[in-house]
Amino acid sequence: MNQEESMEILGEISKQLQLGDNEQVKELTIKAIDANINPKIILDNGLIAGMNIIGIQFRNHEIFLPEVLMAAKAMYAGLDLLKPLFIKDEIPSSGKIVIGTVKGDLHDLGKNLVGIMLKGAGFEVIDLGKDVSPENFVDTALKENAKVIGMSALLTTTMPSMKKVIDILETKNLKGKIKTIIGGAPITESYAKEIGADSYAYDASISVERVKYLMEL
Amino acid sequence: MIETIEIKKDLIIPDVKEVMINQGIPKGITIKEDILTISDKAKNFFVPEANPLCIVLELTKEEFEIIYNGEGNNDEESPIKNIFLNSDWLSLYAITLGSEISSRIKQLFSENDFALASMVDSYASVAVDHAVSFLENHFYQRLINKKIANNRSIVFGYSPGYCGWNIESQKKLFRKLQPESIGITLNESCLMTPIKSVTGVLICGDKTIHDFRNNFGFCALCKTESCLERINQIYSK
Repeated sequence: MNQEESMEILGEISKQLQLGDNEQVKELTIKAIDANINPKIILDNGLIAGMNIIGIQFRNHEIFLPEVLMAAKAMYAGLDLLKPLFIKDEIPSSGKIVIGTVKGDLHDLGKNLVGIMLKGAGFEVIDLGKDVSPENFVDTALKENAKVIGMSALLTTTMPSMKKVIDILETKNLKGKIKTIIGGAPITESYAKEIGADSYAYDASISVERVKYLMEL
Repeated sequence: MIETIEIKKDLIIPDVKEVMINQGIPKGITIKEDILTISDKAKNFFVPEANPLCIVLELTKEEFEIIYNGEGNNDEESPIKNIFLNSDWLSLYAITLGSEISSRIKQLFSENDFALASMVDSYASVAVDHAVSFLENHFYQRLINKKIANNRSIVFGYSPGYCGWNIESQKKLFRKLQPESIGITLNESCLMTPIKSVTGVLICGDKTIHDFRNNFGFCALCKTESCLERINQIYSK
């Protein structure tokens, strides 16, 4: 297969991903693998490229949550086929991030979307779920050697838990080594500054840009 | 005495438009066919698997104040305190849609069927809101019949975790109401299982008691604006 044909398949993967057609993405990924296209190139120029466009369209309100989630399903369909082709521990990653909804809060829809968008952008995401204790955030980031902790809250009453994570990082002399990003309906840029978070993301698509910045990518 | 209230499922099934708004799709946008297909599938899960159950317990202001004060962590100023102190009637309530629908949402997410999972979640979230509205109307009618309410009265529900009422009050609320009897449990962070459950207090009183300015300390951070929508409702009733 020549380069032009390869580009065509990758472009079609990206297009079908944007349409949320997981079956087509699956078929095209198999076709790309069979054509000996490097898995890393399929990932970057097919799947991640498609998710990047989805992120931009979502931010511009050209598409809405269901379309993002359909695209995410399509991305995972392709990614599942690529994973076995990468040597263990060498799955390409833009970096590792630990995310979760803070202790006392069970609202995780926004956090899930952030996780999907970050994975779509090539990050390795460790999702601790909801009702996550401050200690769990820090311990997991340390254990997994993650560079960023992402915290989400919907309830104003649970926001102080974010500060506790930052306090633990400071106490353990980890602030700056492990960076923090926060988000959720009641969270603002000024609140992030007030508690000493390294960044704030207004929505899921912005979170990708901000995490890239924090990881100096 | 703890009382069971029947909430007929048919009365709380959300309309597609409400679900789309819950999904963040603004009013007036033409919904794409594939999204409507997912909505239909979600409804097909929701209808057989959501099983609304509800209990209530009338109580005095003094009894409620103990629950409201909870573990002493409420915001210094909260609209709820003024509302219940000026009320004519109070009742604790707990509503759940049951574990089946919550498990379904979890399962769909774990299978990477994100759009469908999120849509089922939206159906359930809107249905819980409808169940609370049903309860408010149900008690309004009952209290009118008992002459506790009149045409100036409103019954509204308020929940721990919102409007300065600390979520830790759930502990005392659970001790009093015992929602475990309808399958709701509380964890140490005061979060409920199944996730599609809601507890709180129904407060009946003159409509003016429910009207408050959203300028409390916590209001600056809260972006839900659901209080404003409700306050607007007061004057349309």
